[in-house]
Amino acid sequence: MSVFKHEYRAYEGRVTRRWERIGVLVRYGLAEAWSSRITVGLFTLAMLPVIADLVAIYLANNAVARMMVSPGGKFPLEINSNFFLRVLSAQCWLALVVNAWVAPRLVSFDLADNALPILLSHPISRFGYVAGKFISLFSILSLVTWVPCLLLFGYQAYTAPQPWFGANIQVGLGLLEGSLVWIAIVALLGLALSSWVKWRMVATGVIFAAVFVPAGIGAVATGILRTRWGFLLNVPVMMTEIWQRLLGAPPVMKQDMELPGMAITLVLLAAVAICVALLNARIRAREVVRG
Amino acid sequence: MGVIELQGLEVRLGGRPVLNGLTGELRGSAIGLLGPNGAGKSTLINTLLGFHTPSAGAARVLGMDSRRQRAQIRERIGYMPENDSFIGNMSGVRFVRYMAELAGLPSRVALERAHEALFFVGLGEVRYRKVSTYSLGMKQLIKLAQALAHGPRLLILDEPTNGLDPMARQRMIQMLRDIRATGSIRLLISSHLLRDIDEICDDVMILKQGRIAAICNIEEERRSHRNFIEVETVGQTDALCAALRDRGCECACFASGRLKLVMPDSIGVRDLYVAAGQHGVEIRRVHRRRDSLEDIFLRAMDLEPARGELVRI
Repeated sequence: MSVFKHEYRAYEGRVTRRWERIGVLVRYGLAEAWSSRITVGLFTLAMLPVIADLVAIYLANNAVARMMVSPGGKFPLEINSNFFLRVLSAQCWLALVVNAWVAPRLVSFDLADNALPILLSHPISRFGYVAGKFISLFSILSLVTWVPCLLLFGYQAYTAPQPWFGANIQVGLGLLEGSLVWIAIVALLGLALSSWVKWRMVATGVIFAAVFVPAGIGAVATGILRTRWGFLLNVPVMMTEIWQRLLGAPPVMKQDMELPGMAITLVLLAAVAICVALLNARIRAREVVRG
Repeated sequence: MGVIELQGLEVRLGGRPVLNGLTGELRGSAIGLLGPNGAGKSTLINTLLGFHTPSAGAARVLGMDSRRQRAQIRERIGYMPENDSFIGNMSGVRFVRYMAELAGLPSRVALERAHEALFFVGLGEVRYRKVSTYSLGMKQLIKLAQALAHGPRLLILDEPTNGLDPMARQRMIQMLRDIRATGSIRLLISSHLLRDIDEICDDVMILKQGRIAAICNIEEERRSHRNFIEVETVGQTDALCAALRDRGCECACFASGRLKLVMPDSIGVRDLYVAAGQHGVEIRRVHRRRDSLEDIFLRAMDLEPARGELVRI
């Protein structure tokens, strides 16, 4: 029927499978995120260190280029687990910036105009809604973290002499695992905080604050009380320790200040549980006023 | 199979009972949901949509349980909420397409139907504008468009004429009548405005304090009162009354020549004029009493229903 025949007609055709509808949320989420020029700008910015690292790997593995850069001397950069730890750290912190911009765009528009009653009146559950938004964010953050990291690792494995790959396979796995842990946590944090703040710019600030304010408090506690446990509030320190252990890089903290792996895991799980509770309380079609 | 079946439905929100043992079945093609503020209309709609879980009893929509078959129910219904509910930074057509895709339509079909739905509700010319720039009336219409786009079997409308000017209201009512006339879709309309329900619906459920005050078929109610006539006359009304009683009418005489008659089916208004002429009585005014929905509503509000019991009106 053409659109100019203004009549109502029932739909009798094929319908998609239920799980595919999460894909609809993902698709619209991605479109929403990439419709902003700032997202494109941040993504470009996040690729600059990758290009620099790519050049560094090229120089480190190409004798002619190495001679041109430092004639007669030793090339100052060694491509090892430490190098990839720096790459991973840089990309993960840039991912936090991207997350702080994109997460509020995915959720705040729905909340600002009270779209949840209409969205959730369709055959999509609250879990499906959050999963759709999470997958959108996760895939954008993947493009900034593990995808370029593994491409760099692959390029190094290709250009370096053959034993390098076999000896450093843990680095590759560590890059993947470290990135996945980080982007899963920041994506959940971004969605949870965005669901409570209607204004996007404020939500962006709150996401940064949620990472760095406890870190500051933890640092103060560590300094005053002379205890390592203050670092449990310090996300940058905790994540650096996780990444270092996953990549098998040399320790970055003094031995007496290192945190037990179990303690870090429990703190991160608690953070995830809080994010899930925040989402559960907020992502509802109807609010019930108690009393 | 009824459109909506309620079996002792009880819903508690924040520890307080909001719906209290609702039992009844609605079969009409357009069902009105009436009741004063706080009667539980929106809670009932939210329960049918699966937003609230019943604390006791059950609700069935199109034969499906609202607790266990939420997804199946939501696939078959279109919902137009009372308050603003949209994604402001999307264009109208993108928003409606998004909702249609979530309802299960393939992407290309969803786009086609989004255009159709927007033309149907009269937003064809503004479909590429952002929804946030729409007027209040246009926002009502786009909510209707998204509810229709996937071709639901039941359309749930919460206060559909809210914020509409008289012309837009009339257009909305005409549109709902047109939809109803297709026969492929049932309507459940919650409204404060009795006229809206009166003009669109055939069945009505009246809620009061979380209980069903009345369920009735509006047309049947009217039909049951169709033989009640009030007449204003000049002349000897006693003789006319006696003659009408002889022919089986119930007749009561009042001062100033006013008569109230309940006529049997065998007697028409024409017979009344003939009898008046034979007795030299002039009929100045005949008022055929037609029960308005307002009368039905007010009577239901006056009566106090017991738990789980329907009031006869």
